[in-house]
Amino acid sequence: MDIFLQILFDGLVIGAFYSLIALGYTMVYGIIKLLNFAHGDLYMIGAFVGFTLLSLVTGDGGLNTGLLGIGMVFIITMVIVGLLGMGVERLAYRPLLLAPRLSILITALGVSLTLENSSMLGWGASYKVYPISLPKNGFEIVGAQISYAQIGMIVLSALLMIGLRLFIDKTIYGKAMRAIALDQTASSLMGVNVYRIIALTFFIGAFLAAGAGIMSGVYYGTINFMMGFIIGLKAFTAAVLGGIGNITGAMLGGFVLGIVEAYGTFYLGGSWKDVLAFGILILFLVFKPTGILGAKEMERM
Amino acid sequence: MLLIKIVGGINLKKSFMFIIGFMLICSLFLSGCSDEGEKSSGSEISIGVILPISGNNATDGQDMLNAMKMAVDKVNADGGVLGKKLILKVADDACDPQTATTAANKLVSQEVTAVVGGYCSGATLPASGVFENAKIPIIVAAANSSELPAQGYENLFLINGLVPDQAQTGADYFNEKGAKKIAIIHDNSAYAKDMADFAKKAVEANGGEVIAFEAINPEEKDFGSLMTKLKSLNPDGTYFTGYYAAAGLMVKQFKEKSVPGLFMVGDGSYSPDVIKIAGTEYASDLLVTATPTANFIPGAEDFVKDYKSKYDTDPGPFSALSYNSVNLLVDALSRANSTDKDALRKALKETKGFKGIGQEIEFNDTNSLNSSNFHVMKVVDGDFTLEK
Repeated sequence: MDIFLQILFDGLVIGAFYSLIALGYTMVYGIIKLLNFAHGDLYMIGAFVGFTLLSLVTGDGGLNTGLLGIGMVFIITMVIVGLLGMGVERLAYRPLLLAPRLSILITALGVSLTLENSSMLGWGASYKVYPISLPKNGFEIVGAQISYAQIGMIVLSALLMIGLRLFIDKTIYGKAMRAIALDQTASSLMGVNVYRIIALTFFIGAFLAAGAGIMSGVYYGTINFMMGFIIGLKAFTAAVLGGIGNITGAMLGGFVLGIVEAYGTFYLGGSWKDVLAFGILILFLVFKPTGILGAKEMERM
Repeated sequence: MLLIKIVGGINLKKSFMFIIGFMLICSLFLSGCSDEGEKSSGSEISIGVILPISGNNATDGQDMLNAMKMAVDKVNADGGVLGKKLILKVADDACDPQTATTAANKLVSQEVTAVVGGYCSGATLPASGVFENAKIPIIVAAANSSELPAQGYENLFLINGLVPDQAQTGADYFNEKGAKKIAIIHDNSAYAKDMADFAKKAVEANGGEVIAFEAINPEEKDFGSLMTKLKSLNPDGTYFTGYYAAAGLMVKQFKEKSVPGLFMVGDGSYSPDVIKIAGTEYASDLLVTATPTANFIPGAEDFVKDYKSKYDTDPGPFSALSYNSVNLLVDALSRANSTDKDALRKALKETKGFKGIGQEIEFNDTNSLNSSNFHVMKVVDGDFTLEK
């Protein structure tokens, strides 16, 4: 029982990261049918911007800045990267909105490479150690060791996801997003500023990815310029698993993937973890491309 | 006439540069000639050095060259060998197989008596073939791919330990500490996988049991579920053979999950960054199998002091080995009592208990070390110390 619970918890932590990134994938896909492969790199940029700001705040010495300072850095980073996400959309994707989907997909790969290499030039190719790390204490529940940091990570990502859900369901902007996902032309005829809403979608996606980036930096302690690649692929898998275009599906897919990986590592061995994750992706793409929650094909978002 | 017109037509400054450039090129050829002239000099023994002096690995190459120069200066100050002075002829292999072949051919044409050096295995492999054909003995100081001795060259001598030696060192240490149930983790890279395979064999040969043989993806950061698995298996020791970035995270998560037993990493993780990533608290008692830098070798204090006073920097990871390679060659030359290449090769082969810094050199059938020069290092108070 204790092992079972422990693995579940391991899976939830990694799943929280997958979910937050998968949300960006799924939102962008829901609105403009683009698989934004640069999304994992926005997560990476988030980790680096957070690293730079935290280094400024803590003065490189790992000084205790208090929660307020860290919270400020968190929000500022998310906004900066959110704006970067908007910039990417304006520069790279908007001119191609009416072009065939393949052109914009290839552009996304180009954006991904550009972001990776420019951050390598800017911050260097070596691993960076985050200036702050989380307290290591925790508690035990029926033999499973759970740290407060892990609880914090899961709660924080859950809050971000609930916030997003409320934003989409309750606000006028959320309504506009859902409308565009249904029918772009009709929405624009109804007076919705389609470009602005698409830009907003990119902002929110990048905002959440940056949040995940800093959380990852603080939680694991190291960052480097390639960190967005593999987690981007995993998040994409999670988005497909949950039903791409579906917000609740992305959250669910992230957690399911994290938990499946954790149990897979335990019962089959570490070398099978990635085989399992991408095997699931292939199975879903072949047999149920709409994913777990993707049945409501008509109402994405 | 036409040339002059063109040159003159550009401007005076450029034509002047052109002439200087031309003279420089001429002088290159001339110096090449003077090199050729030295070979017949009877009062000197020329030793070829093949190292990466340029490129990404130039730092380590330079450290090695420094140590070799130190050894040569010392020998010459003591009157040389066989009544002759040693001189070094340096060729740059840039860690590149093609450049290395050219560099090796250059040394052969300079008729060097023997060669020392060899940093990158990839560059040393083709170079060793050139020396084998020319029947020139080469003592490789750093490169340690197991492919090198596998070539079966009789002129190639390796004084750095090979991958199986390192795996053995790790397994023996576990055995000594009574750790029988061992978990081995690698990162699927050729080097780490190779070492993990050898470690598995070594642990089993020592009567231990490999309870887990796992691979991780070094691009990832979360090894939580793997650590949960290890914890449930209750290992006496865990050996990770991959590189420092993953090792640092793994050490941290190993301790966070309070997995029991010793934690050991391979020389790919012999870097202060491991301690930085894991944090001083979690990194303490971390074990590393590696060839220690000279600072940690007992009896190398004088070497470190001399090196520092001469080059104003600490010796690099292979400086001691490079120093040993020159001294071993000198030892073999005096035992052979001749600069004849066959006699020298025979003398090298017959080396018995040569005492270098931090190692005793004796060769096996494949001309590699008979005993391992790998040691176990331990992290104490955020710094590496020599454990065994």
